[in-house]
Amino acid sequence: MEYHPLPQPDEIEVRVKEDAMGAYLMMFATAALGLPLPILNLVAAMVYYFVNRDKGKFVQFHTLQSLYSQIPVTLLNSGLVAWVIVNLVKDFDFSSLFWGYLIMTGVADLIYFIFSIVGAVRARKGLFYYFLFFGKIAYHQVYRIGPERDPAYLVNRPPRV
Amino acid sequence: MQRSILGDLGILLGFFGLIWLIASLFSFYPEDPKFLSVEKETRLGETYLELVLLNPMFKEFENERVDSSIQSIGRRLEEGLGGSEYTYHFVVFQSDMINAFTLPGGNILISTGLIRFCDSAEELAAVMAHEMGHVEKRHVISRLVKELGIELLSSGDPYVLGEVTGMLTSTRFDRKQEEEADLFACELLERSHMEPRTLASVFRRLVQEEGNEFLEHFEIISTHPNFKSRIREVLSYEPGVDFHPIPIGLDWDSIRSQL
Repeated sequence: MEYHPLPQPDEIEVRVKEDAMGAYLMMFATAALGLPLPILNLVAAMVYYFVNRDKGKFVQFHTLQSLYSQIPVTLLNSGLVAWVIVNLVKDFDFSSLFWGYLIMTGVADLIYFIFSIVGAVRARKGLFYYFLFFGKIAYHQVYRIGPERDPAYLVNRPPRV
Repeated sequence: MQRSILGDLGILLGFFGLIWLIASLFSFYPEDPKFLSVEKETRLGETYLELVLLNPMFKEFENERVDSSIQSIGRRLEEGLGGSEYTYHFVVFQSDMINAFTLPGGNILISTGLIRFCDSAEELAAVMAHEMGHVEKRHVISRLVKELGIELLSSGDPYVLGEVTGMLTSTRFDRKQEEEADLFACELLERSHMEPRTLASVFRRLVQEEGNEFLEHFEIISTHPNFKSRIREVLSYEPGVDFHPIPIGLDWDSIRSQL
């Protein structure tokens, strides 16, 4: 599988670098809303991606990486909020399984927070920074050279017999 | 590339799954009674009350006159409380032991021995107010949660329930909790228009009974030898200037003669 060559920091415009950095900082801007309603963070990341994805592959990579990494964090936080509400409404116990989940979600949020800061700093410098799993998916999706993504590779073929 | 991505996904799922598992297995989080609602505590209390009353040592004393007198003292204290999350149940049980104890959910058990020991309805009211202090300050449930944990406490297992019930009838509070209950009792007695320092009289007479085998299970004196400092604290409680005690108005000797 082939991939487009990666741009080097000195080839990337400052404005593009800032747009890429913004993908990670979006999380902090919506943090206050995201605490009670975690889905709002995800919506904000999606909006940012669709608004900025046409600003080049560098921006597209960082916004997509930020968006993808936001999905599991949102699911974990939403699960936590739902669990607390159900326990309070139904008067269920806060079991050890719940406390384990709370701690795991806290760790996930902390890791996401740290990685987002590092990602923002690296993007501002025009560098790539690959999150585990999400970085590779974003890179694969944005930089992969393939018929379905690159018009130069589109060719007409006869039907299979 | 695909294999590498799947490998990363495996690492992530494994890492967070392991955190969840470890954090769930090791209960290093604080066991706090605030995570057990009053409603839940009340339901637990009903179960424990039934189990305690099944024990021949705590057989319910059935006498309409005595029961209505205790309930009327309880109502007066509840009025003084001015609203509570708990619904109180005062139950008299047949025992020569001078004893009163609190079960979760506002259930307070009073022995016939204690009623006989008290020289007036006000003295019994002072002890009841002290027990209500343990309820309102959630001392009983705090102690149980600390000793057993919420999960075990909420267990429906009959054997566990039996063991918890056994612990409840011999609950001991620490000095701080007893002092909190004493202060609460003084304030409640004042609000109920009863002399708060009656509690000190009860304490003094209990100290004089030292060595009495009928006293050994009474939690109210469990902080001995610091008991005298508690008497001092109660005696130093000063009611407001507009405080006027109103007698309970029960024929106490007549009630005691029913025992």
